[in-house]
Amino acid sequence: MSVQDTADGNPSTQAPALDLHELQATVLRQRPAPYFGTHVLLTVGERRAGRALLRRLTPYVDSAAGWRIAANAWLAVGISYTGLEALGVPKESLQSFPEAFCAGMAARARQLRDEGLNDPKNWDPPFGKGQVHIGLSAFSDSEDKRRRVLEMARQQVVGFSGVNVSHMQDFGAQPGDLNPLGYKDGIDQPAIEGSGSEPLPGQGRPIKAGEFILGYPGESGVPLAMPEPEILGKNGTYVGLRKYQTRVGAFNRFLRAHGRTQEEREMLAAKLVGRWRSGAPLTLAPDADDPALGKDPQRNNLFEYSNDPRGRQAPLGCHIRRMNPRDSALSRLTDVNIHRLIRRGTTYGPPYDENAISKEDDEVPRGAYFLFISAKAMTTIEFLQQEWINDGNFIGIGDERDPIIGLQEEGATFTIPAEPVRHRVHGIETFNVLRGGEYFFMPSLSALQWLGELGDER
Amino acid sequence: MATTQVAPSQNAKVEEKIQKVMELYADAPELGKVALKNGLEGLKQELAAAGGAQSAGRVGARQGKVSELTGVVPFAKGGAKRLRGLLQLMEGNFQGADLVGSVHDMRFVFLDNDTKLLFCTAYDGEWDAYIDDFATKIPNAMDILLCNCEGYPGIHSPLVKDWIAKNQISAEAWYVSSPNLTVPETRRLERVGKAVEEFLDKLE
Repeated sequence: MSVQDTADGNPSTQAPALDLHELQATVLRQRPAPYFGTHVLLTVGERRAGRALLRRLTPYVDSAAGWRIAANAWLAVGISYTGLEALGVPKESLQSFPEAFCAGMAARARQLRDEGLNDPKNWDPPFGKGQVHIGLSAFSDSEDKRRRVLEMARQQVVGFSGVNVSHMQDFGAQPGDLNPLGYKDGIDQPAIEGSGSEPLPGQGRPIKAGEFILGYPGESGVPLAMPEPEILGKNGTYVGLRKYQTRVGAFNRFLRAHGRTQEEREMLAAKLVGRWRSGAPLTLAPDADDPALGKDPQRNNLFEYSNDPRGRQAPLGCHIRRMNPRDSALSRLTDVNIHRLIRRGTTYGPPYDENAISKEDDEVPRGAYFLFISAKAMTTIEFLQQEWINDGNFIGIGDERDPIIGLQEEGATFTIPAEPVRHRVHGIETFNVLRGGEYFFMPSLSALQWLGELGDER
Repeated sequence: MATTQVAPSQNAKVEEKIQKVMELYADAPELGKVALKNGLEGLKQELAAAGGAQSAGRVGARQGKVSELTGVVPFAKGGAKRLRGLLQLMEGNFQGADLVGSVHDMRFVFLDNDTKLLFCTAYDGEWDAYIDDFATKIPNAMDILLCNCEGYPGIHSPLVKDWIAKNQISAEAWYVSSPNLTVPETRRLERVGKAVEEFLDKLE
C-alpha cells in the first residue's frame, strides 16, 4: 500500500483556509501503513549548538502543503518548555506559554491522574526530569527510508558537542498493522476544517482549525491564546507524548479468566474496545467480526450510537465510546467536538502474542509512544484523563474506567450491558502502564527558523 | 485494619494535636475552655480519624469526589439590582445547572449593602474541566449571570479561568456526607431505587 492510499481523506477542490506551507506535515499527515520510524529525544547543553541544530534540521521538516504525498521519510520537531529555555528564548515569550506546558507533564501528574503505577516516580529515564528538550520523530513507509532519514539526522547531530541524544526508540508496524494488544487502531481521527480534505464517512463535521492549530478560530468562535511573538506562535501546536508499557500477559490472562472459548475471548476483547481486532465496530458488526468492514475506511467509522443508547452493542464504557462518545447521551454538559485529539500512535516492541500469559510477558518492552496533537493538548489530555478515561460518571457508569488505557484500582469492574441483565466482569487490571511523558510545542516552519536564528542580545 | 500496630504513633499524634488545641484555646472564653475539657474524648476520636484535606485543583477544597467553590466578587455598576431581579424572576429554577450535570447546589448571597456577591457551590471534580464546554454550549447563560460582576472578561476570554480563580477563596474546612456520590450517581441511584420498588411491587 502506498502512502497516498492511506491519507485520511479524499482530495477536495475547496481552497484550504489554513496556511499549509507553515504547518509541520505531521499535524495533518497520517502515519503510513505500514509505518516505520524513530523517536529521538535530545538534550541541549549549549544554546548556540541547539539553535544551529534547528537550523540544520529545518530544511528536512516537510510542510503540510504536500501532506498527502510523502516521497521520503519526514521529520517532526517538537520543543519542550525546558528546551525553549535551553535555546535561550526570551523571558517574555516563555511566560506567554500555558501553565501546564511550562510545568511539564510530570509536574501535572495530579491533574492527569498519573498516580500509583503511573506515577512519574516510576517513569523510565529520561522522562519527567526536564532533560528532554527537543523531540524528533522520523516517519516513513519503509524501513529503508527510515534508516536514510535517521542517518541524515545523525549527520546533523554528530559533532554537536552542545547537544546530546538522551533517548532513541524505533517504532514500527506490526504484522497487519496492529497495536500491542492486537487491534487495528488509529481509525477515528477528527476532521479539521480547512485542511483541504473531505471528511471520511463517519468522521463527523469538520472541527474548527483553531482547536488543533494556533492562530485560527476554535469551536467557540475565537482563537486560543497563543505564545508570543506571533511568528513563534502562529501555525504552531502542541504535542503530548505518553510512553506506555503494554502488559500483554495481564490482558491475555484477563481474557482467559473470563472467556471459556476463543469466541468468548474475542467477544470480550471486542467489548472492551468497541471494535473487533480487525477494526470492525461493534455497532455495525455486533455479533461477529467482519474483517472486510474493518479494513474499509469508507465504512469502518460510519456509525453513531443512536440505536444503541444503553450500550448493548458497544458498551457505554468501551474504549472508543469514551474517546469519542459521538451522539451518546452524556450526564454532563459536554461539547464532544472540543475534546478531540489528532492521534499518532507509534508501536514498539514485539507484536501481540495471544499465548503470552506470564508475568514476565508483562515486562517485555513493548507498547506505544502515544503522540497527540492539539492547540490545547494539555487541557484536553487532562480533561480526558480526569473525565473520560479514569471515571465513568460522564456516561452514568459510576467509577468504572477506560478498560484499555485507564489506571485500574483494586477490584475494578467492566460492565457489559446485555439483555436481560448486564454482565459485570470483575478484576480488570491496568493493561497499559505509563512509563514516561512530555509536552512539546510543535512550531511552524517559520517559527523553527526564528528559533534557529535567535540571538543572545536581550 | 491492624489498629493495634499503628496505635502508639497515632496516639502520640493525637496527643500532640490535643496539646495544640489546648494552646489555641488558652485565651478562649471560659465557656469554651470548659466545653473543651468536657468534650475532650469526642474531639480525640475526631482528630484520630482525620484523613487529610484534599484540594479541588487550583483553588478550593475537595472531599472524595465533591468539591467546593466559594467566591466573593464585587458587583459591577448596577449588577446587584440586575442579578437580584433576574434571580427573583427565575424563581429558583436553574435548568441550565441541571444540564451541566456536575452541580450539586448553588447559593447567591448579597453582601455589604449590595456591593458584593457571595457565591457558593458544591460540584463534582475540578471546576475548570468543563469551562470550555460552557463557552461553546451555554455562553449566553454564563454571560447573562456573570456580566453583573466587576471585571468579568466574558466566557470566551482566555482570561476567564484566571478571573474565577482570582475571586475564589478556599474553604478552611469542607464536609461532605456522601463524598463519593456525584450528581450522575445520585440520579442513577434514584432511578435504581424506583425501579427496585416497582419490581418488588410486581412480585407482591
